[in-house]
Amino acid sequence: MSKNSLIYRGEVRAVIPGQCRGELVLVDSYISFFGEVSPDHGCLTTLENRCFSNKVLVFRGTRGSTVAPYIIYALRRSNTAPVCILVAEVEPMLIAGCVLAEIPLFVIKNYEELIRNIRDITSSVYLEVRGSELLLYKEL
Amino acid sequence: MYLTREQEKMLRGEYGWSTAKAMEIIIKVGEALGAEELVSIAHAHVSGISYSTIGKYGLEFIRDVALGGGRARVFTTVNPGCIDYSGFSKIIDNSLLEYQKLIDKSLGEMGFKLVYTCIPYFYRPPIPGEHLAWGESSAVIFANSIYGGFTNREGGPVALAASLTGFTYKAGLHLLENRVGRVEIKLHASVSLIPISTVGLWIGEKIKTTPYIRDLRGVPLEDVKNILASAAASGNHALVIIEGLTPRGTFKLELTDKVEIEAKMLEDYVGEECSGSSILGYLGCPHTSPRELLLVTRLVRKYGKPVKGKLLVTIPAEYVRIYRDLVLELRARGVDIAAGTCPVVSRFKEKFDCVLTNSGKALFYLKRIHGMRVKLAGVEEIVKKLSNL
Repeated sequence: MSKNSLIYRGEVRAVIPGQCRGELVLVDSYISFFGEVSPDHGCLTTLENRCFSNKVLVFRGTRGSTVAPYIIYALRRSNTAPVCILVAEVEPMLIAGCVLAEIPLFVIKNYEELIRNIRDITSSVYLEVRGSELLLYKEL
Repeated sequence: MYLTREQEKMLRGEYGWSTAKAMEIIIKVGEALGAEELVSIAHAHVSGISYSTIGKYGLEFIRDVALGGGRARVFTTVNPGCIDYSGFSKIIDNSLLEYQKLIDKSLGEMGFKLVYTCIPYFYRPPIPGEHLAWGESSAVIFANSIYGGFTNREGGPVALAASLTGFTYKAGLHLLENRVGRVEIKLHASVSLIPISTVGLWIGEKIKTTPYIRDLRGVPLEDVKNILASAAASGNHALVIIEGLTPRGTFKLELTDKVEIEAKMLEDYVGEECSGSSILGYLGCPHTSPRELLLVTRLVRKYGKPVKGKLLVTIPAEYVRIYRDLVLELRARGVDIAAGTCPVVSRFKEKFDCVLTNSGKALFYLKRIHGMRVKLAGVEEIVKKLSNL
């Protein structure tokens, strides 16, 4: 085995294409960027300050306030934005935020399968998007 | 995406930098959602104008767009700011006035109507089937569900872009084929025993397709507004089809699932116990309708001044002029009135032990933004609890 072993291969649809590679931060829920994300720190305030700055952020979808695009834009301007975002469900608000902030955005085709594959992994997981292919690696 | 000659000119910059940037944002979002063309809108409502929520980068964005020559091409209203525009409130902190003024100046320069409210339908009720580009999740869900207007949950910048171009992308809820009720929801009689906003919080969290609610006859429109606002906060709903209320022809039904909501399913959404020496009663999220303002006045007349805590009521900025007598009477009776703002998009001057409110949306955000303990209760219960009776 190499230093990084492939643990999952999936498929994505690019909503806003771009580079997507880095350590995975998984938040298996819906997020309201307003109220649940601190743009100053690039962290989720509701989940013990889980931070996604310069990492790959994966979550189910967005909820709540339509202020979200400004929060996402503020993440970019504060240099706390994630490298890219992958979601199970996409909605206009998230797309607008990612357009403004120039954050690549992808929809995961089989989100539940991805979750099942990484549920029990305790070490760091890395994610890479190559075309429409999603690759997950485990650090050994 | 197909663009008309006028839209192409906008994109090329013939209408100025801001209009070109606005067109670019709309096209990119539209293309990502599979839109094949744009649709002209009758009314844009711009959310995300409070300095407290969008901060310095949001301010810069809005200022750049105004300085770049951005001007409204359709009727445009704006959401609440972070200061009390009446100057009456002793509870809302006006320390960000200097920054909010810069945002307001830019909004005014772009020709927006500065209503500072989350109930833009008070100024211009949508017509069924009319295309809109609204931000503010609670207004979007009300426009779609009650008036049969066609709008997506536009993020603040997209609603702004739609105002400057007069167009938005034709996708999502702008197409009848996407306005389809899938889950039938019935309310069990026991639900009447619990604050009605909890129904919305539950729907937002548990239902992921468009709901169709039966049996809301007899529920006042203000309570329906609270259910909808709560569902749009705890979830991402933009349309809840309501039997007898949502205009015919603006939705379809293809019901595949059924659920009955009982009071015991809602108990977890009522909030935390609210006691202590410093309690805040809060009404007006979304902003009060004129009828609610009258109801609160009558209740305060009946039960007396709030003495066991403070009572805050948030209203659209213009109510101070239109309903001057009611506003002055409430103030005289010890009620704190804040106009053109609300605690979700502003800051408090003082610290409270907990908040009692009729709004599930306020519960959702005050917990997260201000870290406060919040409990839901009916309007009468709140006024009564704060009085001496």
